[in-house]
Amino acid sequence: MTAKADSFGIGWRPELAGGILANLDRIDVVEVIADDFFDAPGSHRRALRTLAAQVPLVLHGVTLGLASAVPVETKRLEQTARLFDDVRPRYWSEHLAFVRGGGVEIGHLAAPPRTDATVEGAEANLERARRVVGVPPLVENVATLIDPPGSDRDEAEWIDEILRRSNCDLLLDLHNLFANATNFGFDPLDFLRRIPIGGVAAIHLAGGKWVGAGGERRLLDDHLHDVPDPVYQLLTEVGARAHRPLTVILERDGCYPSMECLLVQLERARAALREGRKRHTARGEEAA
Amino acid sequence: MNATLLEAFLARIYVDERARASFLVDPRGEAIRAGLSPEEADSLVKIDRVGLELMARSLDQKRRRNRPAPRPSRRKGRTSL
Repeated sequence: MTAKADSFGIGWRPELAGGILANLDRIDVVEVIADDFFDAPGSHRRALRTLAAQVPLVLHGVTLGLASAVPVETKRLEQTARLFDDVRPRYWSEHLAFVRGGGVEIGHLAAPPRTDATVEGAEANLERARRVVGVPPLVENVATLIDPPGSDRDEAEWIDEILRRSNCDLLLDLHNLFANATNFGFDPLDFLRRIPIGGVAAIHLAGGKWVGAGGERRLLDDHLHDVPDPVYQLLTEVGARAHRPLTVILERDGCYPSMECLLVQLERARAALREGRKRHTARGEEAA
Repeated sequence: MNATLLEAFLARIYVDERARASFLVDPRGEAIRAGLSPEEADSLVKIDRVGLELMARSLDQKRRRNRPAPRPSRRKGRTSL
């Protein structure tokens, strides 16, 4: 199921439920954290199906650990498959991250070493995911505070290899891109030039804060702050480069502002992407 | 090269404060003792120490936030619709 036009939505959180349901005329799509429903009681599943009847849903996974040399757990894939069949979302997505190793749960999405081993591991895991769920996930770039140890290539090259080998599309998190570019000194526009931009199917927007240690400061993607201006500018840049319809999701995990404040950010996202689309069209007309 | 061992090693130093402290004192030695190759151990000597500290701190804060309340809470779970 793909969208025919750009669509804009918000990540479902219990704290935002009332605001989302009261504003479905301004929200095109809702993103639900898949893992929250793996072991949920039947009543919650029924409620999720009711929500799906009112607004298109997308499912977002956070615990598979697809970008790893370790095979993804079959049980988690089967849970994802059951939920997918139950809800019939527009798409499902997961991160290019590892989340556990040697029996230790990291409790977060960690950027793995960017090497042949994790490219091959991700490719194998994505193939298993496609087989078990029946549909491949969109894969998301992650933010990292640490330059992944043991890497022998940069993020753009690593993601490009995984996308090409797996034939998966990208959920491009623009705040993750902005944070990594800020923290590790690369140009986010160069990143956009080096990935297969036609494979970008969805966008995440979020905010973060500065954290520091040892006299250095870095940008933490914490989903607790408003979307900063450079992220909207990147959305315009994506709109100018990518031609397919995009699903744009605003993520907020806490320090919740008013629903109106979130809806204003969604409107800014619509305007930013529209601006990029205009530029794309103008470029096309010039070329013709 | 053993990518699985490297991921396990990273998971441990990200999460376990004592393992991280031992690693920072002798990165190469700890990596070799964990079964990593000399090349992997060398790459870990050059680890981004600021990033490691910030990541560990961020993980610790996240764990504290997610820790269950000491008394039964009436708060609904994330799944509630």
